Amino acid sequence: MTAITYLDAEHGPRPAEGRTDGARVLLAADGLAELTGWTLKPEGLCQGDVCVPVRDGQLVVDGEVDAERFAAALGRPAVVDTETGVIAIGERSSERQGPIAAGIAPDFTLPQIDGGTFTFSSLGQRKKLLLAWSSW
Amino acid sequence: MVLDREHLLGELYGIYNVPTVIWIDEDNRIARPPVIAPGDDMFRDFTNIDSSVHHDQLRAWVRSGSLPAPTGREQIMLPTDDEQLARLERRVGAYLAREGHAERAEVHFARAVEYAPMDWTIRRGTLPLRGDDPFGEKFFAFMGEWTEAGQPGYGSADPNAPS
Repeated sequence: MTAITYLDAEHGPRPAEGRTDGARVLLAADGLAELTGWTLKPEGLCQGDVCVPVRDGQLVVDGEVDAERFAAALGRPAVVDTETGVIAIGERSSERQGPIAAGIAPDFTLPQIDGGTFTFSSLGQRKKLLLAWSSW
Repeated sequence: MVLDREHLLGELYGIYNVPTVIWIDEDNRIARPPVIAPGDDMFRDFTNIDSSVHHDQLRAWVRSGSLPAPTGREQIMLPTDDEQLARLERRVGAYLAREGHAERAEVHFARAVEYAPMDWTIRRGTLPLRGDDPFGEKFFAFMGEWTEAGQPGYGSADPNAPS
């Protein structure tokens, strides 16, 4: 196994056990749950009480999970760079659309510039101004 | 102040440009969807946006709960499949650029632009990571494209500003 880098919006880059094989990024099946929050079970890919049936016989081969097939099984977008062993799996557009369309402010936790993390909901029931800017 | 290196907020709130503000009320509902609102008038000659307009609107909302009259440029941006892919390509590209894989990074940045050609956070936001000046020639070329396309996306908090 060689190092793979797994990227997601909430955690940023994280090392993962796996390897590249041609156009595929393969992840060690026994590390899948810690990496993605999804566990392989006989009934499919499961997270908590939710299980997604998997009909793709090529998803897991010899203890390795094909990362793009994993994303496809969950209906999620994925981008791989097999030359560097990087994979990013995102959220479905419909999952991101829901709260925005309903006018609900999604919660988030991000690192603070002076250390530690900040969770938006910690501000409680008061008016809030969210300002996004760039330092360039 | 928080750091959003992976552009999570852009994805969660449909943010396509900066500086963007979103008003959120006591019940955690979006009282005012994203609008452009510079904090001061440093770039007013360029943007034509009077920052005091948003400041006054904000004070009125905080004090009395009153929302400003629509500017006609409000637009709630719901993420599309292509935009989600663009964000992933940008995420991979940014990581590879930081790790010194400039050539591979460029492949992913180029794909991100193909998926979301009018997203400022991608077109302009990736310029420094691609070795380009965010105030330089490529930025103004993008400005031209965006203007020609009818300035897609949400507008500014100032109803008198063109964008």
